[in-house]
Amino acid sequence: MSYIIELDNVNKIYGTDVRTQVLTDVSLHFKKGSFSSIIGQSGSGKSTLLNIMGTLDTPTSGTVLLDGMDTSKMSRNKLAEIRNQTIGFVFQFHYLLPEFTALENVLMPYRIGGGKITREITEKAKEYMSLVGLEKVMNNNATKMSGGQQQRTAIARAILNNPALILADEPTGNLDSDSTETIYKLLRDINEKMETTFIIITHDRNIAEKTDRIIEIADGKINMDISRT
Amino acid sequence: MRLAFGIATRFLKSNISQTLIILLGIGIGISVQIFIGSLIQGLQKSLVDTTIGSSSQITITSKAEDKLMYDYSDLMTSVQEADSSVKAISPVYDNSVLMDDNGKTQSLLVRGFDLSLADEIYHISEALSEGRMPEKPWEIILGQSLSDEYGLAIGDKVSIITPDKKTQECEITGFFDLKVAQINDSWCIMPLSSAQELFGAGDAVTSIEMQVNRADVFSADQIADKILAQINSADYEVTNWKGQNEQLLSGLSGQSISSLMIQVFVMLSVVLGIASVLAITVMQKSKQIGILKAMGIKNRTASLIFLFEGLILGIFGAIAGIILGLSLSAAFTTFARNADGTPIVSLYIDAKFIALSGGIAILACLFASLIPARKSSRLNPIDIIRNN
Repeated sequence: MSYIIELDNVNKIYGTDVRTQVLTDVSLHFKKGSFSSIIGQSGSGKSTLLNIMGTLDTPTSGTVLLDGMDTSKMSRNKLAEIRNQTIGFVFQFHYLLPEFTALENVLMPYRIGGGKITREITEKAKEYMSLVGLEKVMNNNATKMSGGQQQRTAIARAILNNPALILADEPTGNLDSDSTETIYKLLRDINEKMETTFIIITHDRNIAEKTDRIIEIADGKINMDISRT
Repeated sequence: MRLAFGIATRFLKSNISQTLIILLGIGIGISVQIFIGSLIQGLQKSLVDTTIGSSSQITITSKAEDKLMYDYSDLMTSVQEADSSVKAISPVYDNSVLMDDNGKTQSLLVRGFDLSLADEIYHISEALSEGRMPEKPWEIILGQSLSDEYGLAIGDKVSIITPDKKTQECEITGFFDLKVAQINDSWCIMPLSSAQELFGAGDAVTSIEMQVNRADVFSADQIADKILAQINSADYEVTNWKGQNEQLLSGLSGQSISSLMIQVFVMLSVVLGIASVLAITVMQKSKQIGILKAMGIKNRTASLIFLFEGLILGIFGAIAGIILGLSLSAAFTTFARNADGTPIVSLYIDAKFIALSGGIAILACLFASLIPARKSSRLNPIDIIRNN
């Protein structure tokens, strides 16, 4: 079985004078097409771990292999390319571009990848947006949407380039339980149809229990790692 | 490129009031630059025009003791062969005389002109305040101030006494005002042949005077050198206005330098203004840049966004500045007028200068956007993601 992402002995220390060890010897391997969740208390290092997996942050020591390639040996441009083509992010604070409409936000990763906006890709974006229930607000400015709508826009944006890996930090954090359920089903659906690997950070035990693998982080260490068989 | 351009225009449009204020700032800077430049150029042109526009700019004189030149028509042909920028050329016979008006005497400088040729240099016919140009022998015109001082009128006859005590009666046909008191007080203009006959000079002149095309006024010294080379004779001396007006020239160059300094400092403050505003825009947009970088935008594209912002601001700022500057100039020439209705300062609107100012503005804006572009390129997305 091949892995999409492999972390070996990853340590992360912030600060030089006052050193704070956020991650300690974390080794994790994720299979292609798997659906995993990371749980843990605030400040346990979950987000840092996710950022390192997404090449946004670099480990102080240890290696991160993406699709078998060592990310520490990649140029900044190569990393940018990987973030654009291989990874889809759904951040806790959704992070849409307020100057653009929801649809334009969804199309942004495609444009960054150098693609021309054709009728085909626009249709695809619209399809994803209706998939997450945004067909009515597609042309709204990102700032003129509710938190839940913004979060769903961020999900549509993350999946547009059909990335192999989607990293989501509390994708349902700001949503009510009905929406949470819808989003989860949506992610699961994409996971099954497109064999996209999902790693999601969640506080929601219900969601975590539905995933294939639950990893619990406590004080920067792996406290628990259970897989459903 | 297209992506960076698209994001840049969207950033500018999303905060349109801020964009307009920046544009206004650039526009005012450029308009001041254009206005000052046109003003100084106009001032210099009118100063040069009034100083040397109606006088000989290059003069050939003889080094011989009697100062006479007999071969002047050959010389004139040589001059015209030497340089095509000579636009007016006239032979002149000068000598000093005394004017006797019923016992009151006044020393005068007889200027014997080929009147049709000299008119192109001195614009005498335009400067006539009354009467007409001399046509027949022993007809003269004098300065207006002499008419006032001696109570002379058209048709009056005055006696001219040469240094050789020869007396000749001449008829006044007109009075001129060449706007230079010294000339008005001393010149006595008559046809060349009369002057030659008065002094028994035969067909000789004392100097050849000429003017060059307006655009070549400041190369008068080089043209004079060319003429000297062409006539190739040690018997003649070629002088030019630049050699005789060093103070004016140093005044003009001082003016040019101070105008340039003002323009440079105006431009510098525009650049600093744009740079600081764009630097703030990077701060404002750092979240967006962080998101874009997390989505895989390359550092080069991230910096291009701000270079494009600079370019767009530069182009529109330059257009605004040119429109403002020209309106300001038009307002100045329309409303600031002398009592006689002529503009106090006639501005010199030079398309090349304006295009250059616009070009410099665009370059300055691009230059100003380099710092924010660098900042944008160096921005690390994790700082944005981690700090929300």
